[in-house]
Amino acid sequence: MTIQECYQKLGGDYEAVLKRLMSPNLVHKFIGRFLEDDSIKKLCEGMDAGNREEAFRAAHTLKGVCQNLGIGTLAASTEKITEVLRKEQEMIPEEAAALLEDVKRDYQEAADTIRVYLASES
Amino acid sequence: MVSQKILIVDDSSLNRDILTFMLEGAYQIVEAENGLKAIEQLKMHGHEFSLVLLDLMMPVCDGYGVLAYMKESRLTEEIPVVVISAETDQSMIGKAYDMGAVDFISRPLEPYIVQRRVKNTLALYEKQRRLTAIIAKEIQERTKSYDRMLTLLSQIVEFRNHESGLHVLHIKIITEMLTKQILKKTDQYHLSETDVQMISMASALHDIGKITVPDEILNKPGRLTEEEFEVVKGHSAAGADLIKTLPSYQEDPVIGIAYDICRWHHERYDGKGYPDGLSGDEIPISAQIVALADVYDALTSIRCYKAAYTHEKALEMIRNGECGAFNPLLLECLMEVEERLKNKMKLETVDPLEAVGKSVK
Repeated sequence: MTIQECYQKLGGDYEAVLKRLMSPNLVHKFIGRFLEDDSIKKLCEGMDAGNREEAFRAAHTLKGVCQNLGIGTLAASTEKITEVLRKEQEMIPEEAAALLEDVKRDYQEAADTIRVYLASES
Repeated sequence: MVSQKILIVDDSSLNRDILTFMLEGAYQIVEAENGLKAIEQLKMHGHEFSLVLLDLMMPVCDGYGVLAYMKESRLTEEIPVVVISAETDQSMIGKAYDMGAVDFISRPLEPYIVQRRVKNTLALYEKQRRLTAIIAKEIQERTKSYDRMLTLLSQIVEFRNHESGLHVLHIKIITEMLTKQILKKTDQYHLSETDVQMISMASALHDIGKITVPDEILNKPGRLTEEEFEVVKGHSAAGADLIKTLPSYQEDPVIGIAYDICRWHHERYDGKGYPDGLSGDEIPISAQIVALADVYDALTSIRCYKAAYTHEKALEMIRNGECGAFNPLLLECLMEVEERLKNKMKLETVDPLEAVGKSVK
């Protein structure tokens, strides 16, 4: 898989990311780092524990990481849950559960795509 | 030149790496993974940092916590904070600005934009620091030359009196020491560091009214008649009147203080002084201080009618109330600084009159 094909599957604009990070090597290096980021784990933990604040922070961080790396599809679903979790209240809003499923699905797809890309590159 | 240090605060190591990659080379980078770690860094090395790049949403302590700490410890005045966040909520961004952030960069980050914003902000703060230093130096220079003019003016009056110009310098030194000691001891008189400086500057003018005393009385070798003595005593009110006619009397605080000193430096704490017979703290503290300084210096200096007393003898005479009545608090201050005063006065022995005489020859 080429990096262009990888970005196509991630719903991102490779050219824009390349322009930002300036070299294909760096795009390659940073996209690999995505798999190390544990925001998704923290988001799931926060949701499970019913801790809205923790879930919100993790979602917010994940959104930032996706935006930096140009992982478009996941960035979009993460943004949705971030906004739902933002409002300060005791309970986690019901609609968040369904949105979390979208995020999990998009994350899985993104992670798989990146793994396949990294494997084909090495 | 050592490169400037930047503190990057973000909970995602990936985000920190991207920022570091954009800035390393041009700057020294220090990373912190949350607000608490950032505050620790600022506590230890606060003044070493030239800029902080700050994420808002972080666990343990968020970006607002860092901004609050920096504001409280007055670091925001020195170190610019540029907020970097994926935040889209305007009110959250507004809050960061309100808490002292100078700029905001939103994700995704463009290296060129980040580099430029960082560079511009650093340049702006550097310029501000330079200007502040220039202004501080300028003010100091002006104060110095103002001080020199006042001293010169007072010494002219002193020279006419055939008295050593040292008197003016001594009074300034003693006044400054005593005023500083009062400031240290109590806030009863609401004194500030600036007041200390202004009072000691103004003290130089205390005897300016002697310009109105005729030569033949001022320099009369023998004892003064009662009438002549009354004329001499007129110098304090005369000096004050003279100062009141100055155009800057209203707006220059130093001149205002000089008025008080001139008029009331011969008042006594017990109300038996002149010209107005004020007592206690009716007498402005500046005038009380100069009165004491004046007496000490008169005692320890040679005059045509007396020899110089030693420092110890002078203190004893003042304490015993042989040379006037003073505010007990002021006497305490004198005793507290006496050792330093003695040493300082020993150093100030070059007589400007002699120095002038030598340079003329």
